[in-house]
Amino acid sequence: MRLGRYELTLEQRPPLPAIYAALVAVLAILLALVLASFLFMSGESSVLSAYRAIFSYAFLNPHGLLATVQRSIYLLFCTFAFLVPVRAGLWNIGLPGQVYAGALGAFAVPLLLGAQEAQALALPPWLLIALMVAAAALAGAAIGGVAGLLRARLEVNEILVTMMLNSILFWVVSYMIKEGGPFMGATAEGESFRLIASLQAPLLRGVPFTAALALGAAVLLDLLFAKTALGYRIRAFGENPTAARYGGISRMTISLLVFLLGGAFAGLAGYHTFAAIPGVYKIPGNYGFYGDLAFYGIISALIARGSALGAVPIAILFAGLSLGARFAQGALRLPFGIDYALLGLLMMTFVASHVLYRFRLAWRRVQPAALRPGPAGLPEG
Amino acid sequence: MHADRAPSEPILATRGITKRYPGVLALDRVDFEVQAGEIHAVLGQNGAGKTTLMNILFGLVQPDEGVLSLRGREVRFRSPHDAIAQGIGKVHQTRRLVAAHTVLENIVLGHPRVRGWLNLRGARREVADLCARYGFAVDLGARVWQLSEGERQWVEILKALYGGARILILDEPTAVLTPPEVQTLLAGLSAIVRDQGVTVLLVTHKLPIVMAISDGVTVFRSGRVVARLRTADATEEILVQHMVGRDFALRAADRSTGAGRPVLEVEQLSAFNDRGVLALRGVSFALREGEVLGVAGVSGNGQEELAQVLAGLRPAASGTVRFDGRDATRASPLARWQMGIGYVPAERTEVGTIAAFSLVENTALNYHFDPEYTPRGLLDDAGLHKLTGRIVSGYNVKAPHTSAQAQHLSGGNLQKLILGRVLSRRPRLLIAHLPTQGLDVEAAAFVRAKLLEARAEGSALLLISEDLDEILSLSDWVAPMYEGQFVAVLPRETADAETVGAMMAGVHQTQGGVR
Amino acid sequence: MWELLPRSLEASTVFLFAALGELINQRAGVLNVGIEGLMLFGGTAAFITAQATGSIALGFLAALAVGGFLGLTHGFISITLRGDQVVSGMGLWILSFGLTTFLGNPYTGPLGLERIPSLLGLSPFILLAVALVAIGWLLLFRTSLGLAIRSAGQNPAAAEASGIRVVAIRYLCVAVGGVLAGLSGATYTLSYNPVWNYNFLMGWGFVSLALVFFSMWNPWILLAGASLFGIMWQLSLSPELILPGVLSRYVWRTVPFAITIPILVVISTPWFRTRWGLAKPDALGRPYEKG
Repeated sequence: MRLGRYELTLEQRPPLPAIYAALVAVLAILLALVLASFLFMSGESSVLSAYRAIFSYAFLNPHGLLATVQRSIYLLFCTFAFLVPVRAGLWNIGLPGQVYAGALGAFAVPLLLGAQEAQALALPPWLLIALMVAAAALAGAAIGGVAGLLRARLEVNEILVTMMLNSILFWVVSYMIKEGGPFMGATAEGESFRLIASLQAPLLRGVPFTAALALGAAVLLDLLFAKTALGYRIRAFGENPTAARYGGISRMTISLLVFLLGGAFAGLAGYHTFAAIPGVYKIPGNYGFYGDLAFYGIISALIARGSALGAVPIAILFAGLSLGARFAQGALRLPFGIDYALLGLLMMTFVASHVLYRFRLAWRRVQPAALRPGPAGLPEG
Repeated sequence: MHADRAPSEPILATRGITKRYPGVLALDRVDFEVQAGEIHAVLGQNGAGKTTLMNILFGLVQPDEGVLSLRGREVRFRSPHDAIAQGIGKVHQTRRLVAAHTVLENIVLGHPRVRGWLNLRGARREVADLCARYGFAVDLGARVWQLSEGERQWVEILKALYGGARILILDEPTAVLTPPEVQTLLAGLSAIVRDQGVTVLLVTHKLPIVMAISDGVTVFRSGRVVARLRTADATEEILVQHMVGRDFALRAADRSTGAGRPVLEVEQLSAFNDRGVLALRGVSFALREGEVLGVAGVSGNGQEELAQVLAGLRPAASGTVRFDGRDATRASPLARWQMGIGYVPAERTEVGTIAAFSLVENTALNYHFDPEYTPRGLLDDAGLHKLTGRIVSGYNVKAPHTSAQAQHLSGGNLQKLILGRVLSRRPRLLIAHLPTQGLDVEAAAFVRAKLLEARAEGSALLLISEDLDEILSLSDWVAPMYEGQFVAVLPRETADAETVGAMMAGVHQTQGGVR
Repeated sequence: MWELLPRSLEASTVFLFAALGELINQRAGVLNVGIEGLMLFGGTAAFITAQATGSIALGFLAALAVGGFLGLTHGFISITLRGDQVVSGMGLWILSFGLTTFLGNPYTGPLGLERIPSLLGLSPFILLAVALVAIGWLLLFRTSLGLAIRSAGQNPAAAEASGIRVVAIRYLCVAVGGVLAGLSGATYTLSYNPVWNYNFLMGWGFVSLALVFFSMWNPWILLAGASLFGIMWQLSLSPELILPGVLSRYVWRTVPFAITIPILVVISTPWFRTRWGLAKPDALGRPYEKG
């Protein structure tokens, strides 16, 4: 675009120091909130009071704060589930499917070991809980592993496979908990059976032990990528798979491994949200909502630019926003789906910020094609 | 040899062309002119600015300063579209053909006469006529990926002529041709110029071509025009002086003393290329410690597949590879690094390094499996830093610091980094594929010296190169490669440029010393 | 059972329109993995407009406009900014998923307008689908524009050197892809199943993406694949027609998605791969840098 002697161009920025990445992330989130405020205007109250309601519920209200913490743990696991494969350059959008698998895996343990009645426990509760956690992780890993294996051995597009698995697992859960399926609860209301008291996850001040798992995982993941040879191989493969292969890094091993690990994290997310949050302890009929929520994990991993610890505050923020928005929606009579809209806006501002991070608009003087006198006397022969 | 032409208005001229890229002045106030109907050579080393100027003449690149004039009138080409419309055609250094489409589809792509409905029948007749006139026998319905390099080049020339080009720019046209194909090309160009009065701009760094066919020559060095001569008045020595500025003649290295232990034994090795065609067809040879086997030949005759199979990056279809006596045919790339095989690939930026990684992280590419640098699975950052520092200083790698990203290094420095990294592992076998391609004269000499050093320390070296001088100066054994096979494996004493050149073109000779 | 056929074919038109659009922009070298999002947004825009104005025609126009706009957005990010095409596509998908849930919620429920009349017992969209496939094939293989498009997708540098304006061609194709995706979404919400519900597509957009790969970028094979898929989908909704009482109806719903996976596997095996690899536009998904 030209204006007189100047033209507007897009030029690539030189790489910016890391602090800019954090700055850009913050800007993206703020921009999304600003855009979301337009949505609030369709409600009955002012934008400011809407935001105040959201934040005060999410972070100041004791119930709301606890709920925020619970959801943050869930989102954090989902973030890791996307983060690990994305550092290898692979897209795990099968988070909902793997979460469902994890839930099924966790609930399969009491079902198979006959632990649905308090009296009939054959194993000590702590062992059963540990088995539930392990089963959830394994189930998630198995589903993730399908995509990973197909990618590893046959280069099948993982986006397509994981998306198909999402739909498949969604219906499998329906089958399991509705209309006489094996997991169906006694009341036959289209939800699974409830966990007995001794199998409910131990709490500290209302927060289940999964919080420790999530935070521990965050630390370990960042260490993995920064300090270990395996983490290096994953990063190298993500940056340039051909060069990685040249350097002796096995494409098959890495592809499979990151999906197993990612799927395991999503499985843990499933365990947490259905088996560890007080007041739930079952797979409810609206389980699809939690599956959709898992997509926040994609955005927080992207905004955090692959840093697991960096994703912690982001996950907490998103958890608070989505909970607060739901609450505000009810309290302030806003239209349904604000949280979904926020999800969409965040993705949009992320992509925009990603672009701004790499490019800048600049006005450049156009070089005139002037006639210059040629230099005299060149050597001839 | 060429009729004297009276000086007249140049058909194409530039005044004061300057072009800057970040960090480098590619062209510095270039004045350049070409007479109508002549074959004009544009001579210079890699990076001298020849290609940049040709891209400007063809409208692919805009100059920062300066003026272009065609037939006496000032012109501005904003895109190849404009240049083509004015009768300028270009045949690029790398093929600009759509490999999956047919010859005819490629020729008519973008041609104004084939607007709207794709009526290929009329075009087919016209193109067939052109072919007949210059004696090119190429099947118009063949897919381009099925053609040889020489045939593809002809398709590009035909495309330019069919597009109405009156000025034809050929950028390094002989780089990938066998000697007989070169002769065909030169004869064809002379015919085109004679019959059609077309003007030809021939960009090259090869002196024999310049002396054989051009009427005039312009020499570039470091972005400037340093000489303008009639070819009749020039000699090879004068041209070299202008091109290079000093003397970098290749001296033959000392021959190896022989009698080292055998390191590599290859028996009837075959492999398919990416298109499913058997590109490597039964190669056999043996290599001892401290020996250099130079594989000579034009790219596309199976060299890439040979290098990749030996490095473990491509499966062998049949045959065996024994390394230090052990069967390594199916060893993974990782196993090969661990065994002591080192590979310097031809593609520096796509395969040899990771652009966004720092120099230290790139060093780790060959060390992430090394127990000495990965205690208990953790990367030894400090150790890798020190190692990278040693490589950077030992190999003259110009970089701001070891945390700089690899993508900010020039081609030559990147190559030195890769070489240093691979050689620091002291490989028993080094596979070097086109190690000096695209490097300036100084960097190339440095690389060759380092290769010889490695040889002196006992490494066996498999050198794959298109530069016959380089092969002849470094190798103990020379294996011309043609269509997937070693035509022969000659000891250096019996390998002279003519013999090897002929073999590269498929002419079999049974001379003494074939192993 | 045969009464299911017209309904199946109607379902397949939804797959087909989006897939055909994606086929065209993939032929030009641009990969859009977020067509599900464009379909969602187009369908929602169509539904809202139709209900608000009472005119189905206006609904379709809205869908085409929204789809085209989103397609151009993807184009801007992928072509001009040379951004990662997968990130952009995923972004558009999640953006649409989120925003349409919010925007469409007040309109949840049936459309309440007169159904589009059928021609000869078949939905008019089926005829439109066949027509579009024919036009698409003719365009790609019998016009110079088509040759230019295919060249831009195989080797943009070669195309540019031949005087083709690769950037303009890619923008054109990505806009067409977006318009067709919008059409697809509108077909779903205004004709095939005129009841709005959040995330009403449930992964159909990704199935369309898979169909493009299966079709080896040939519009006629795409038509066949979409038809087959439509039939499978319809059967999965009423499995009692061929296998009464065998499995829970929920399990049947997984069948169309489950079938995709082995098909993906088959086309990735080495034998298939070489032929498929030759059909694949070489430059697909790679940002193009001029000069």
